[in-house]
Amino acid sequence: MIPVRCFTCGKVISTAWDEFKHRRESGEDPAKILDDLGLRRYCCRRMLLTHKEIVDDLNPYQ
Amino acid sequence: MEIIFGRLDNNNARFTLTETRTAFANAFRRAMISEVPTLAIDQVRIYDNTSVLFDEMLAHRLGLIPLRTDLTTYVPAGECSCGGAGCTHCTATYTLSVEGPRMVFSRDLIPQDPTTAPCHDEIPIIKLSENQKVVLEARATVNTGKEHAKWQPTIACGYKNYPEITFSENCDGCGMCVEECPRGILTVKEGKAQVVAEKQEECLLCRLCEEACMAGGIGSEPSIRIKGDETRKIFVVEGDESLPVQEIIERALMHLRQKSEDLHTIVSQLSGVT
Repeated sequence: MIPVRCFTCGKVISTAWDEFKHRRESGEDPAKILDDLGLRRYCCRRMLLTHKEIVDDLNPYQ
Repeated sequence: MEIIFGRLDNNNARFTLTETRTAFANAFRRAMISEVPTLAIDQVRIYDNTSVLFDEMLAHRLGLIPLRTDLTTYVPAGECSCGGAGCTHCTATYTLSVEGPRMVFSRDLIPQDPTTAPCHDEIPIIKLSENQKVVLEARATVNTGKEHAKWQPTIACGYKNYPEITFSENCDGCGMCVEECPRGILTVKEGKAQVVAEKQEECLLCRLCEEACMAGGIGSEPSIRIKGDETRKIFVVEGDESLPVQEIIERALMHLRQKSEDLHTIVSQLSGVT
């Protein structure tokens, strides 16, 4: 799961994940999406850029 | 001392504090971060959790959700008339009961008192698949950032010295500093480098322009000089929406005043002066 807040500054970034994921999958430039989402600081930007969702991979092993 | 606001809305403030000192500015910053109380989920009673997250992880994620806080109705547990046992003046309760398959969002957290609802409705908590279930009861208490970062009302909260940029006569308008400035606050006009109008406050005090100027070969002394004015501070305060930024600023200042009054009383008592 995407962390609720940015590790460094504490801004709530998880609300932006869904839109970020969809727009990136549709081939948009991540830098532009992050700008649109209002994530200015590089601490918040790396939270979304470097996230890998593994919930669906874990589910079968419950 | 004077506060000049450049920007003030519910979540963001930018202001200049004049005729101050670093010691006061830093005390003010620390008071805003760690002395202004907010609500955050503190105790979670889990009745059922068959999701992929451990109970502890789930509770941790819940704790990080910012909650709307009305400090006129809620007080820290230590100051409450119930003595910290947990009553409606110091504790807000929530229930969450969701069955998969679907995503659990912060809006699924049902508050007993609607004024303490989560600030964002769309925070994903856990993704549930078929036959997975989460049923829990959560208690939020009022506390300060000193105890745990989840009670901090601020996100980015800091200050810098007011930048003073001066150019000497030697400037030949080569434009090296203009290229180097990461904030783009410099420009060359009529053969001399100068600051773009109203962009002076955006200077980072990084001094890359000074280095670039020296590289230009004018001499050992750069013709552009950056200095931070220690008696003027530019503050940036960003709130997490649990409290309006204005209230954070006011409460931090009230806290500082209270602290200095307490110190004054103690010192007077010790020295026998009334």
